[in-house]
Amino acid sequence: MIDYCMQNDGAAVVIEGLEKSYGTAAGSTPVLKGVDFLVRRGECVYLAGPSGSGKTTLLSIIGCILSADHGRVSILGQDVFALSGKQRTALRRNSLGFVFQRFHLIRGLTTLDNVCVPLTLQGICPTSARRRAMSLLDAVGLADKADKHPCNLSAGQCQRVALARALVGDPELILADEPTASLDAANGQDVMELFRRLTTEEGKTVVLVTHDQRIFRFADRVFWLENGCAVENSREAQSKSQGSGETGSEQPLYAVSCDKSNGE
Amino acid sequence: MWPIALKTLIADRGKLLTALVGVVFSIVLVNVQGGLFLGFITKAGLLVDHGKADIWIGHKEMHNVDFPRDIPRRWLNRVRGVDGVECAQPYLIGWSDMTLPSGGFESVVVVGVDRGSLLGNVWNMKKGRADSILKTDGIIVDECELAKLEFPEMNEVRELGGRRARVVGMSHGVMGFLVAPYVFTTFDRAAEYLRKAPEVCSYILVQLHDGADVREVCRAIRQRMPEAEVQPSNVFSAISTDFWMMRTGLGISFGAATLLGLLVGLVMVAETMYAMVLDRLGEYGTLKAIGATEKQIFSILLIQALMMATAGAICGLAAVSLVQYAFSTPRAPIIIPYWLSLGGCLLVLCICLVSSLLPYLRIRKVDPHTVLQS
Repeated sequence: MIDYCMQNDGAAVVIEGLEKSYGTAAGSTPVLKGVDFLVRRGECVYLAGPSGSGKTTLLSIIGCILSADHGRVSILGQDVFALSGKQRTALRRNSLGFVFQRFHLIRGLTTLDNVCVPLTLQGICPTSARRRAMSLLDAVGLADKADKHPCNLSAGQCQRVALARALVGDPELILADEPTASLDAANGQDVMELFRRLTTEEGKTVVLVTHDQRIFRFADRVFWLENGCAVENSREAQSKSQGSGETGSEQPLYAVSCDKSNGE
Repeated sequence: MWPIALKTLIADRGKLLTALVGVVFSIVLVNVQGGLFLGFITKAGLLVDHGKADIWIGHKEMHNVDFPRDIPRRWLNRVRGVDGVECAQPYLIGWSDMTLPSGGFESVVVVGVDRGSLLGNVWNMKKGRADSILKTDGIIVDECELAKLEFPEMNEVRELGGRRARVVGMSHGVMGFLVAPYVFTTFDRAAEYLRKAPEVCSYILVQLHDGADVREVCRAIRQRMPEAEVQPSNVFSAISTDFWMMRTGLGISFGAATLLGLLVGLVMVAETMYAMVLDRLGEYGTLKAIGATEKQIFSILLIQALMMATAGAICGLAAVSLVQYAFSTPRAPIIIPYWLSLGGCLLVLCICLVSSLLPYLRIRKVDPHTVLQS
């Protein structure tokens, strides 16, 4: 059990005793059962686990787009339960950056316009917004695609545009849901290196949901969920992966975690 | 929000075009129906509006300029004695038959004007002069009614009310609400065509001294002649218009057609906007997820509705101008004053704004969590 009182200072995400159920015709189905979760500022933490384990639900709760039933959720020092709907929206707009599995770029907008969207929502003037968005597109290597529409880009390029959109508002916390799921190995690697640079060079905090064990080596820590419960909270994931000199796909972290768990 | 709203709207050209067709349809329908309506009702008080008289005096309870009752001509002297009256002249309107070359006849409305002042005479002459009615047997007909009269030439002699009449001039577009053509001539000759006694007339037309107050003079005439109906020109014109409006259901039929057009426009715009939103529900969910407020989402829809209304109004007004140019005739004039166009545009704007409410209600239900789930 994490000592929250000790570790909350400087934490980007603090979750304690989180419970969430979905109502169905057959009754209530619990998805998260008393999850504790902590992410410090500047950390890159992966949420992993089998399908239906509650990863996306946990990410949605961290992203303030889904409410928990019980527990305590603190995002960037703000108690989410105490925030009104408008305040949660403002928190998402000003402090969080989202990268979605299927990019969710707006079809009618060019690459540049898509990256500008969060700044437009923040009320920043179009000229400044375009300047900032252009520099982000340059950073993700897509400056020459600024006038293209998403339908004219490859999946990898779309994901990099989505990443630029998530970063353009200079958020403290970046939430990514399966960002490599639609990408091939090479594009997935590029995107993950971008995420890695965000934490090491920009000091951003990243929480990323993934199935893809090939990319575990990019994480500071992997948080493993199974049946709505935390199974593993491995800080050594990256070092183990990198230390072995093997890719995550060749030595799944899940196996490492289970061994470690058993050892404990 | 303007860039997002504008660019996403333009991106979906097919649906935008459909919505624009709806807006243009509504604009054209409101303006053309309204213009035709105004054109028709303007004809109802045509003689009054162009008669250059300040006050019309007629039989008690007179309700339409084209259907007068005889009044004594001797009232003239009593009217002329009222302060503020510059001149008062008799005016005669009645129905007669013009014999046609084919052997048939055509009912006409004979208008007799005082030969000295020519008050209430024909206007907008195309051939000849308005004062040509002073010529022997002179009558003036309208060139738009020539077909009914079997195309009389200038100086052609016809029989009117069993008496000789000669076409000495032709006006353009002087066509009343009735199907019968107007024939202008002098008062005395009109009395002969209409077989009226010389001591009666249909109306007394009054012109006032400069600065005289119409209401005051009307009040003075009414006091002196309580048996007469005394009305300022604009009031009598409105009375004539109301006669046709109330007794024919003209207003209801035009209003119903216009309302139907607006409803069709409303449905088209609302349906198209709704379809556009359904197509982009995921995108709205994304906007919500990344921090768009309800107000910002609604403003996107409002801006899109506003832009559709504006673009549709511009295209619609251009189409209205074309329709007016191509189809407006003296028989069915399409009169579109600026306030009608402006009102039509505002109405359509309201329709577009209302249309944006329905898709907004749908977007309100979009849970941004679904973006992560999809």
